[in-house]
Amino acid sequence: MIIFKTFLKILLKNKFIIITYTAILIFFGCFNTQTNDNTTNFSATKPDILIINKDENKGLTKDLITYLNKNSNIKKIPDKKYSLDDALFYRDVNYIIYIPKDFREDFLANKNPQIKIKSTKDYQASLAEMMLKRYLKTATIYHSEIPNEKDLLESINSTLKVSTQIQMTTKLNTNSLNKMISYYNFANYSILAGCVYVICLILSSFKEKSIRKRTIISSLKSSTYNLNLLLSNSLFALILWIFYVILSIILVGNAMFTPHGILLIINSFIFTLCALTLAFFIGTLLSNKNAINGIVNVIALGSSFLCGSFVPIEYLPKSVTQIAHILPSYYYIKNNELIKKIEIINLKTINEVLINGIILIIFILIFILLTNIISKKRRDFSYQ
Amino acid sequence: MENTIEVKNLTKKYKNLTAINDLSFSVKKGEILGLLGPNGSGKSTTINCLLSLLSYDQGSIKIFNEEMTPDSYEIKRKIGVVFQEVAIFEELTVKDNIDYFCGLYIKDKNTRKKYIEDAIKLVGLEKFKKFYPKQLSGGLLRRLNIACGIAHKPKLIFLDEPTVAVDPQSRNNILDGIQKLRNQGATIIYTTHYMEEVELICDRIIILDKGKIIASGTLDELKSLATIEEKVSVEVQDLEEKYLEEIKKLKYVDLVTYQNNNLQITYKKGQNNISHLIDFFNKNKIAYNKIFSERPTLNDVFLELTGRELRNE
Repeated sequence: MIIFKTFLKILLKNKFIIITYTAILIFFGCFNTQTNDNTTNFSATKPDILIINKDENKGLTKDLITYLNKNSNIKKIPDKKYSLDDALFYRDVNYIIYIPKDFREDFLANKNPQIKIKSTKDYQASLAEMMLKRYLKTATIYHSEIPNEKDLLESINSTLKVSTQIQMTTKLNTNSLNKMISYYNFANYSILAGCVYVICLILSSFKEKSIRKRTIISSLKSSTYNLNLLLSNSLFALILWIFYVILSIILVGNAMFTPHGILLIINSFIFTLCALTLAFFIGTLLSNKNAINGIVNVIALGSSFLCGSFVPIEYLPKSVTQIAHILPSYYYIKNNELIKKIEIINLKTINEVLINGIILIIFILIFILLTNIISKKRRDFSYQ
Repeated sequence: MENTIEVKNLTKKYKNLTAINDLSFSVKKGEILGLLGPNGSGKSTTINCLLSLLSYDQGSIKIFNEEMTPDSYEIKRKIGVVFQEVAIFEELTVKDNIDYFCGLYIKDKNTRKKYIEDAIKLVGLEKFKKFYPKQLSGGLLRRLNIACGIAHKPKLIFLDEPTVAVDPQSRNNILDGIQKLRNQGATIIYTTHYMEEVELICDRIIILDKGKIIASGTLDELKSLATIEEKVSVEVQDLEEKYLEEIKKLKYVDLVTYQNNNLQITYKKGQNNISHLIDFFNKNKIAYNKIFSERPTLNDVFLELTGRELRNE
């Protein structure tokens, strides 16, 4: 208990530096999440159309204009050549339709009247062209069978009314998922840097040579001492992890409670344990307080760059990704990316995620083992 | 009287260097044993072996009649150590530091609270309870270091040069505290190279040199080993060479040195030496200022036994 109490006192004594450090990490984490807002929502867009009608506004011609009016934004620009060219150049309109004189009559008389167009040749213009072609094609098909104009217009409109309902097979919110992945990928750096910095800072006080010597000669068993220290540090890591999870809920919202969000949270928990044991191992090795900043940069920043925390791993050279295989961050980030790709979560689809999780647990065991060996060696070194 | 520590034939080697050579001694319950010797004589190595911080090549160590090993937690419970280097947390206050080190031995909160207050009182840090180490002077830090080592009321205390680089006020406070601990029943092993401290507080003294015991006993027993009886120092301005030669011929005079107007005379036996010297000065009309006499010190004993000065090592 005295170890835990002292741990907390040292933690509180360093609260300013710890809070400042964590705040900086959080700021960058949030910034990274917001700037990675890859919108993938679809919404219908209406092209801007100018109709220059030389025909009488009745019958088929009127019906065509009404149809276009429903599905696009009809613009009014004076029918002067330079005005029309300017409108196209400045994208005030995407598509200009010239309905010629006697269009209606010629169409009904099967004279195949020509509609001239001018276009910006962009995506919006293609939409406008699609609409126009759809109307004319439908009208042409029906007119071969229905000579009466009234019946013809009824048939055209009933056909054009039909729309297809598209239903997504999964309810995956890709925008939120992208945000989550971005946040949790960056958390690799935040959690690793936070754990290594704070744990090494506190351990450096406990492991200071003269204090360690005094502890060794006390009646407190070495194993009890190490266990108490590990548990105290675990509490800090747990608080840090909970903090990051809560922040992700604030940033991303309810999407964190979806199976994908929960998988990301579990993955980050295993990684936090890995960061904790790694930090404990480094803290056992480290005897110089001044080296902590350097160590944090090498460990946290280095592995974050190598493993794709900042830059997607696909963009990194193969030699770099091969080196990354020896780092726990690689498996953590790889899991995040795998979770992103899974559509329906079941045992089969998360198989690879589980394997990576097991690899992370193996890393945890290796770090614990190494810490024990080093700790014992250190003790043996003094006892010789 | 019952022995608290029994060391037999203790030998510790570092490759070719023998740090401790066949050391045997015992420490009686309730006594203060002084381990005296120059730097590198093996004092700290001996203490580290006794505390199982170092392994040893040969011999045996028994503390409280039990073999001392690194896992002797029951023995360790009764031991307190104050090392030469100050071992405290910079981030904790005086009280919290003592609480931590006391907490390594005492689990009960109320007992610990009382022990902490006792330790603070013993070293005179009542006014500095809430101070952080960086706010304390070197002397106060040393006192805190002692409080951290003895707060759990150990029956056996090792003090390894606790007064190094300490101001006189703190030194007196520390020495008073050590005597109080002994009065409370603790057995103390005190290592230092300050002879005055050993003479002041130790019941028995062991003089170490090159890992060997070269002398041991009470202060009087050790001083009896010295062939000189008295040292007289006189401040004399410009003493002529011929008078120096005459002083050397005075009765019982063993050695005469004259440096920086300071005349030092060592006598083999000591009765009325000063009065004879004053008579000599008066007779030859030699002006003198200060004159004082001192008994042989442990340094003189060490000098006689090894041919080297203890304090200059």
